[in-house]
Amino acid sequence: MQIIQLQNIDFSYSGKAVLEDFNISFEKNSLTCLLGSSACGKTTILRIIAGFEAPQKGSVLIENKKVSAQGKIIIPPHKRNLAYIFQDLALWPHFSVYKNIAFGLQERKAKNIKEKVFEMLDFFNLSEHANKFPHQLSGGQKQLTAIARALVLRPRILLMDEPLNNLDVKLKHKMLEHIIRLKEKFELSILYVSHDHKEAFTLADNVIVLNKGKIEAEGTVADIKNAKNEFVQYFLEY
Amino acid sequence: MKNLFYIVFTLFGILVVLPLIHTLFGIFFSGDFFPNIQQFNPETFNLLFKSSLIAIATATIATFLGTVLAFLLYKTSLSSVNLLKALLLIPLFISPYILAVAWRDFFYLSFNNTALISSAAGTVLVLINIYSPLSVLIIGSALNNIDTQLEESGLLVTNFPKMVFKIILPLIKPAILSSFALIFIFSISEFSVPAFFGIKVFTTEIFTQFSAFYNHSLAILQSLLLILVCVLLLFTEGRYLAGASFLSMGSKGTKSKIYELGKKRNSVFAFSILYLIISVFIPFVVLFIQSFKYGTEKFIEAFNILLPTFSNSLMLAFWASVFTVLTGFVFAYYSVYKKHSILNKLSNWFLLIIFAIPSIIFGISLIKFYNRPELNFIYSSLAIVVIAYTGKFSFIAFKLIENSMQQIPKSLDEAAQITGIAYSRRIFKILIPLIMPALFAAFILSFIFNLGELAITIMLYPPGMEIMPIKVYTIMANAPQALTSSMTLIVFLISLLIISSFYLIYRKIERKYSPLFKMQ
Repeated sequence: MQIIQLQNIDFSYSGKAVLEDFNISFEKNSLTCLLGSSACGKTTILRIIAGFEAPQKGSVLIENKKVSAQGKIIIPPHKRNLAYIFQDLALWPHFSVYKNIAFGLQERKAKNIKEKVFEMLDFFNLSEHANKFPHQLSGGQKQLTAIARALVLRPRILLMDEPLNNLDVKLKHKMLEHIIRLKEKFELSILYVSHDHKEAFTLADNVIVLNKGKIEAEGTVADIKNAKNEFVQYFLEY
Repeated sequence: MKNLFYIVFTLFGILVVLPLIHTLFGIFFSGDFFPNIQQFNPETFNLLFKSSLIAIATATIATFLGTVLAFLLYKTSLSSVNLLKALLLIPLFISPYILAVAWRDFFYLSFNNTALISSAAGTVLVLINIYSPLSVLIIGSALNNIDTQLEESGLLVTNFPKMVFKIILPLIKPAILSSFALIFIFSISEFSVPAFFGIKVFTTEIFTQFSAFYNHSLAILQSLLLILVCVLLLFTEGRYLAGASFLSMGSKGTKSKIYELGKKRNSVFAFSILYLIISVFIPFVVLFIQSFKYGTEKFIEAFNILLPTFSNSLMLAFWASVFTVLTGFVFAYYSVYKKHSILNKLSNWFLLIIFAIPSIIFGISLIKFYNRPELNFIYSSLAIVVIAYTGKFSFIAFKLIENSMQQIPKSLDEAAQITGIAYSRRIFKILIPLIMPALFAAFILSFIFNLGELAITIMLYPPGMEIMPIKVYTIMANAPQALTSSMTLIVFLISLLIISSFYLIYRKIERKYSPLFKMQ
């Protein structure tokens, strides 16, 4: 079943076309990796799905509900039941780890906030850092805090924009394993953006290779590895 | 929240911008234009020429000094550099007439003669004292932003002096030109220093036509001439000045290349201290000596004269600063988050122009607009002074806050947006706490400038109101020198006290917030 569909999307930044008549869809409960070099449009796709940008033409459907169409945001980001891990993680620097995770729940006037936050803190082994501020955490702890903050609201979809960019290789592998476990535990559909094919091949159920706003190849990891497409072969060489 | 933004925009447009446009452009349609333009004579242009010469001399020397000092303070391993930077800025925050009194006293004490300083050259000397720190600020900020690698690649092909002339100076050329332009505009607009020394320049002529001869139309026409000069300069340097990167808190810090002074460390330190002694300590010590020459009697008398003005002046400065920060915040928000709106581009320019046009002219335009029966409730109260201060100094608040907002990643707001935090809550819970140091710095600067502003205040203060700079200025003409010096010393000390207390609070706020930004 398809959880996200982008239909005939046109999108441009300051008059420069990023996506033209672009179509793509993502399977429910799968981990799909959008792979491509810089400025190929992969982050734009995430931002359109999240509702930070409205495509000038075409529609976006989430769980078969139209959320954006023809330049308009129909359903705002916070009502799309999705979470977003930003490239810079976007942890609020003036809030503690606890407050970063609890803030969304507090604003939504949720019940049992403390319990829900500590469940997350325990799951991510962050309990002892609850009162620390983001600048007092290590790279990995920041990553986990960002993920905990995203998941505490129990989203169905998790959008991840190159979140492991700044980590060393060892930590990156640990985090990749974590992400795979998250998908199962929280029954998530994950859309993961990366420029690193090794990262994509470790994680993904499905991989989509993008180049200049166009899909060059899509399929399982094996499909992509065996793809005959010239760009894909060139891209996988490095 | 959006309504509040629109209210601030509308009020600023009606209360500040409209009077300026109404007065300056109204003259063309009033029938007074042709009769008054005929009153322009060679004397008018001579005065404009004289003012321009004073401004050119000030801007050239202050920018040269500023460049040298900025290099020493921002690019070398000089010891106690942060303290030196803070002390060096003091003259910029002290009302110009205070330094004029101090230098007159210095010449009186040293040469028993004030004729030397009460001249165009004396005016230039005092203005250099005031505006060199501004040049240090502008050029220092540009030096701080030079990519280390550009200098290092220069050093690979040539020696240090040549690298400075061939790489660094061309890179900071926009800052040097902007420093010159801004100091020229401020100097040509300056009223209190030449007025205190009794030097007839273009601004004092405008003031005389307006206040003594009540020839408002001629004063406005002369103002237009001065505005034309300022705006022409603004347009040549506008892009750099509108960016005003020197008004930045720089909480993320920069990694600028620092040069070891080696054996020259002591002599460079001595030069910096010598400059500090001349620009900060001599004025202070001289005022102190003059004030207590006959014991404490004159100082106590001066204190008693000024006492009734304290509450009015502080209250006025406080409320004007609150409105200035609010205006600066709203304009900055639109500038950062609504970049492409025409309203944003227009307002950016209006703020810069109002900041740069002479205070005298801004004051005249407000009087001409508000001096009518239906607006008398503004004209005859301190509200007109608050409006003037807010209009004048909003550019500084706007730039400080805008530069701080630009450092906050957009993703922090988006992360809150996707979590479902309402618009107004995002502003109060995410944005405002993160720019708190800049908001406070904008408040401090506005407060200090408001407290010392003479030209606007002297034109607009309602009769019967006692305000500190006005009291000093009106008593200056006839009072004994020791009394004038005492009053000036008190204002100087109050300004210093406020600057240092605010600075300490600011350091606390900055210490609380700045580590938070190291995470990104």
